[in-house]
Order: sequence, then structure tokens, then C-alpha cells
Amino acid sequence: MYDAPNTELHVTQNDIKIAARKVQVYYGDTHAIKDVDVDIEDKTVTAFIGPSGCGKSTFLRCINRMNDTIDICRVEGDIQIDGEDIYDKRVDPVQLRAKVGMVFQKPNPFPKSIYDNIAYGPKIHGLAKNKADLDEIVEKALRRGAIWDEVKDRLHAPGTGLSGGQQQRLCIARAVATEPEVLLMDEPCSALDPIATAQVEELIDELKQNYSVVIVTHSMQQAARVSQKTAFFHLGHLVEYGETGKIFTNPEDTRTESYITGRIG
Amino acid sequence: MSDELTNHIASAFDRDLEGIQAQIMKMGGLAEVAIMQAATSLETRDEELAQKVRRGDAAIDALEEALNEEAARVIALRAPTATDLRVVLSVMRMSSNLERIGDLSKNIAKRTGVLIQMQPIGSTAASLRRMAREVELMLSDALDAYIQRDEALALDVIERDRDVDQMYNTLFREFLTFMLEDPRNITACMHLHFIAKNIERMGDHVTAISEQVVFLTSGRKPEEARVKEDRTSSDARLSPELDQDGE
Repeated sequence: MYDAPNTELHVTQNDIKIAARKVQVYYGDTHAIKDVDVDIEDKTVTAFIGPSGCGKSTFLRCINRMNDTIDICRVEGDIQIDGEDIYDKRVDPVQLRAKVGMVFQKPNPFPKSIYDNIAYGPKIHGLAKNKADLDEIVEKALRRGAIWDEVKDRLHAPGTGLSGGQQQRLCIARAVATEPEVLLMDEPCSALDPIATAQVEELIDELKQNYSVVIVTHSMQQAARVSQKTAFFHLGHLVEYGETGKIFTNPEDTRTESYITGRIG
Repeated sequence: MSDELTNHIASAFDRDLEGIQAQIMKMGGLAEVAIMQAATSLETRDEELAQKVRRGDAAIDALEEALNEEAARVIALRAPTATDLRVVLSVMRMSSNLERIGDLSKNIAKRTGVLIQMQPIGSTAASLRRMAREVELMLSDALDAYIQRDEALALDVIERDRDVDQMYNTLFREFLTFMLEDPRNITACMHLHFIAKNIERMGDHVTAISEQVVFLTSGRKPEEARVKEDRTSSDARLSPELDQDGE
């Protein structure tokens, strides 16, 4: 592994949160993910980049078994979170998704009040004993979502009445309300303006103190800005995975280089 | 998939990068000419040519400024990464090396103006011209290595800087000897020594440019620090005066 003098440099390295081995995903006859091996660190933002159709979102959706909802989709291989196989028959996908939160491309608040958007998850997972508990959970989540100050005076107004950027932060707050350990984000800023994007990116940076954040993004600059680790996917393969600074200044693989420098789409 | 990088999807990005690289080549060409003309004007005692070198430096300075502005624009507008980023960074660093080479040539040309009015010191002007010729060839190869992304050639140029250092050390001893022989040689020898030192510094700048070629092609800096072989100019015990005292 490393020579003795190097070990000191790695003491700050985080534990492995998600370990994937030989993951294959098929949509019917289409082989969408081929032999992906990856170790995702805890308390780190990991970015998945790659051209459309490269499999990055598909792989992201394997991590909380969102692909189970697609009939023709078949996942093979091994994905472990904290050493536990998430595809084990005994694992309840609903419980798994409480532990592995997800934020989508377009903000999708429930057609309910801001308060109820946040309270819904904790309620169904039985995280609150009483109303006071629930109030506390809602406030904490909205604060973590960096949106508390903007909505504290209108908690019972509909969530759909917020601006796009506020809605997305509401969805992030909703995702963290169930106290997940991993947060998956599928292009969380693609429908937001630059200011709202900056706010969400700032939020992602704060979230990494508590969670392992995995973000799929089409914006290379966003990956460069928010992530510590970057994985480049191409045609279903994980081509290159490494420290973000290294990937963006001196990638090993020509395909990675071609993509990040704008030579292949 | 080939190993060669293709063009950018945004062709204007290619044009921007080609633009700054064309500019650095132009700057390099001017620096090559400045080195050779400065040394030739000294050997042939040609005041007119020396004046031309002194005036020509402004063009190199102007190119450096234009290049830095253009590079800043590319960084701001294109957010270059990987090889593209290294092209921009290397061009910026090389431009400051070339600008220094221009300044050093100008300084040689200034001293030439003074030296023309004095007696020549042996054949040292010819030796200086040969030394300048060596540096000019190194620069020419370094620029070729840059355009052709030829790491091996760049490493060869770095290696050749040892010869230039060797030539400088030889001249250093020669000047000391001339000054010891006749104190009336001192003014001229001091100017000539500065010229030798200037050429030696130019060699260092060419080495730095070659290191940028290595950085551009590999993303790394050449690892080994060069070992200083001849210590004539940095060790008092090696001075020729001591020989004269019979030590």
C-alpha cells in the first residue's frame, strides 16, 4: 500500500461508507452498468460525472434501491453500506431509503404545507413522540436545509408556493429530516438559477460534516466546486475515480480528460 | 477511442488556446533573435545592432502583457481544466521567462555600448557569442519541444544547461586572470562578466521553459534537482588568486 512516511498524510482519510463491488445493472437486455467497483467515503462529497446515458444516475439509484421500482431493471453485484449488504432479502427498502435520503433534479415538494413536507417522513418512521418533538425535528431540518429564516413565519403556507431554489432546499430539508446517513442528489441544481445554485452548494458543503453526500451533476464546474472525490462514468463503466483536484488538473484516462475539457459529450 | 485528444466541441475554445500558443511562439522567436543579436553586436562591435536590441525589448514586453491578459480572459470565460489548464498556466509562466530573457539581452546590449569604446579583452567576446549561441539553440529546441509536446527533447535541453554553466565558469576564471594581469582590464572585465552571467541566467530561464514543457505533457515537474558540479564561482578556495600565491 503506502510507504511509511505517507501514512501520516492519510490519517484524515474518512471511513468507507458505501462499498460497491462488481455491480451490474440491466434494463431488459441493455447492460447499463458494467462491473463498477467503488468505495465512497463518509463525511465527503462525491461527485458522479459523465455524459448523458453513461449510467451515473442509474448507479446512484442503486444505492437506495430506487431501481427496484422499475420492473425490467435487474441489479447484480454487491453494494454495502457500513458493511451491510443493502440487497439482502431481509433489508426493507423503505427503511433503507430513510437511511439513504434522495434529492431529485426538479424540486418536488408534496402539495402540502411547508411544515407537513418536513414532518411527513419523521411521522411515518415514528421518529417523533409528540407534537413538541415534531416541531423540533421540523425546525432542525429546515435549519439544516438553510431555509428556516425564509419560511419560519409561514410554516403552514403550501410548499409549492416557494421559489424554485427555496423548494429545492425544502426538499433537501425533507431528506435530512429522517436523519439519514447518506444523501443522494440527482442533479439537484439543474433547475435553479446561479444564486439558488450557490445556496444549495453552500448547503452541500455544510451537509458533508454529517453525511456522506453523493451528487450526480452535469456541471463539471459544480463537481469541481463541491466535491472532494469525483467519479467519471462512460458507457456504463466507471472510468476513473479519485480526488477531485487531481481529476480536474491531471486525469489519468484520456476519456476523462476528453470529457472534462469539453471534447466528447 | 484513440489516445490523442481531439478538438473541443466549442471550436472557439480551440481558437483561444491556439491564439495564446501562437503568441508565446512569436515571443520566443523575438527572444531568440534578441539573444543572438546582443551577442553578435558585442563580438562585431556593432553599436547600431546593439541599439536595435535595446529598442526591440519593448515588443517582447508588450507581448507578455497581451499574453497575460488573454490568458486571464481564457481562464475567466472558459474555465479550462486538465491539459487545457496546463496550456494556460505554462504559457503564463513561459511568458515571464521569455520577458526576462528579453531584459537580459537588452542589458547585454547596453553594456556592449560601453565596451565598444574599450580595448577588447582577448577572445572573450567570441566565447560569449558561442555561449549565447548555445543558449539560443536551447531556447529554439525548448520552443519546438513545446509545440510538439516532446518531453524527451525538453529533458535534453535541461541537461544541456550544464554545458552553459560550464562555459560560464570557464569565462569567470578567464576574467579573473585578465583582471589580475592588468588592473586596467577591470572595467571591461566587470562588464563582460555581467554579460556572461546574463547569458548563464538566460540558460536558467530556458531550463524553466523546458520544465514547463514537461509539466504540460505529463502534469509533473521534472523531479531531480540538478547537482552543482563546478563551484568556481561559489567557493572562495577555488579562486585563481590563490594559484598565483603558490598555494
